[in-house]
Amino acid sequence: MSLINEKKDFKIIADLIPANSSVIDVGCNDGSLLEFLKEEKDINGRGMEIDQQKVQLCLSKGISVIEGDADLDLYDYPDNLFDYSILTYTLQATKSPKNVLSELVRISSKAIISFPNFGHWKIATSLLIKRKMPISEKLSYSWHETPNLHFCTINDFIDLCEEAGIRIEKQANLKTNRLNKFYGKNLLNSYFNEVGLFLVSKIKN
Amino acid sequence: MNENKIVELATEQALVLDCGKSLKSFKTAYTTYGKLNDAKDNAILICHALTGDQYVASNHPITKKEGWWSYIVGPEKPIDTNKFFVVCPNVIGGCMGSTGPKEINSETGKVYGTDFPVITIADMVRAQKLLIDYLGIEKIFCVTGGSMGGMLVLEWLSKFPEMVHSAIPIATATNHSAQNIALNELARQSIMADPNWNSGNYYNSDNKPLKGLSVARMAAHISYLSKDALHSKFGRNLQDKSSLDYSFDADFQIESYLRHQGFTFVDRFDANSYLYITRAMDYFDVSSSNDGSLIESFKNTFSKVLCISFTSDWLYPTSENKKIVKVFNTLGINVSFIEIETDGGHDSFLLEEPKLFEAMQGFIKSTYENL
Repeated sequence: MSLINEKKDFKIIADLIPANSSVIDVGCNDGSLLEFLKEEKDINGRGMEIDQQKVQLCLSKGISVIEGDADLDLYDYPDNLFDYSILTYTLQATKSPKNVLSELVRISSKAIISFPNFGHWKIATSLLIKRKMPISEKLSYSWHETPNLHFCTINDFIDLCEEAGIRIEKQANLKTNRLNKFYGKNLLNSYFNEVGLFLVSKIKN
Repeated sequence: MNENKIVELATEQALVLDCGKSLKSFKTAYTTYGKLNDAKDNAILICHALTGDQYVASNHPITKKEGWWSYIVGPEKPIDTNKFFVVCPNVIGGCMGSTGPKEINSETGKVYGTDFPVITIADMVRAQKLLIDYLGIEKIFCVTGGSMGGMLVLEWLSKFPEMVHSAIPIATATNHSAQNIALNELARQSIMADPNWNSGNYYNSDNKPLKGLSVARMAAHISYLSKDALHSKFGRNLQDKSSLDYSFDADFQIESYLRHQGFTFVDRFDANSYLYITRAMDYFDVSSSNDGSLIESFKNTFSKVLCISFTSDWLYPTSENKKIVKVFNTLGINVSFIEIETDGGHDSFLLEEPKLFEAMQGFIKSTYENL
């Protein structure tokens, strides 16, 4: 599942991360984002990946990687071990997105989360007009074979963060490649972004 | 380059053991493959398991079989002998030339037998460290081994962290579980129940405790395999017969196989060594010198580590290996982990397992390139 647009997404994620940060990429795929961040920001990176073939690829590139499952294995990390955790296009495939989000902001100071926005107008239109589960570039599986368990819209994500005590600091606009301060929910946001990409952190009690 | 060598170590200063006794001047038998480069940064130390020895990639002098890790060690293999200087010592307490119960005690001129001091995994590593010093290696590029070999790797990472650039502990644990101790005790009792064992004094006798050692090996061998592998390899098949014999002969193939494992083992292994080495494994707890704190035990470790486990290994299961990963993660150590799916059981690290090959090759190659 390589939904990530390497050129755009990698760049904008790199823009969010200060040099020399420690970073864990959960669902790190073949490790290319970690490699990119190493090159751009000289990060101290770690990966977690459920697919063993990709784990093998990471090992061959010298990336430190744990074969593991975001739903089960984040509990093994102590609080605030990393400066940043990254979860790209994986949230919707987890069994418990709320727990995973909470774990990410527990083990790192800040988390970068991206997911396909189910509220995008094309998807909504597909449901409304065709009465069929949408298939698009970002959502390329048909309903009966998708690994995705929990689709959400940008507005759903914002609600979940609130429920889980998570502050949204920034949102990326992948069309303009800009990072914007987050001002709260608005309908247009959920209509016109194919992807939600957020910088979040735990609200300290 | 790969013939067996023997070196006398601790000739000037005795090796002080955990039990309080010391070994003044002891022998280590070892093999090497490849050449140490000028920078001395290409040494790989291989730690063998309970019944392993230094013949890691060359034919065994007794069994004539190829080295126990020939699949992993050799030219173009993950531990590439064209590139690396590979060292594999027989542990102290062993029986392939290193000082152990069947060797002569230089102080008395007699065979040690059970006068040999009880040794620990930490003692074995201290002895290995003297060999590494002797070879002029200040920093080992990679220390690796499976099972007891993995314990030695962990001990290296804990006690001599500055000497280890990277490490691959395989199918191992930070200490021996009650189940593992129980299985070793079963093996020891079967050796000691053999009247030929004679309290360990059998070296001058024609009758050696071969039955006891053979049963010990049979019991241990079961623990190295998985239920599924036993089922698919043997099932309830009968051995060279079409019906049950109504006797206690080896009716089933699995019986015959285990008996064979037992018989052949006694040719190459010493019963007292088996007692000493299993005891060292049972005593092993890498955190024992730090009041049981694993965090304290690895707080000075900065090596790059790859931990490997096998799904069907019930002796050193994935959960035990993940415990190591968790501690290393907590300390921010550069640790990787892979769990290989196989029905090969604990013995998988000795089998031709392509995923093990790939993981070790990928890790070793990329780590050396980024040295």
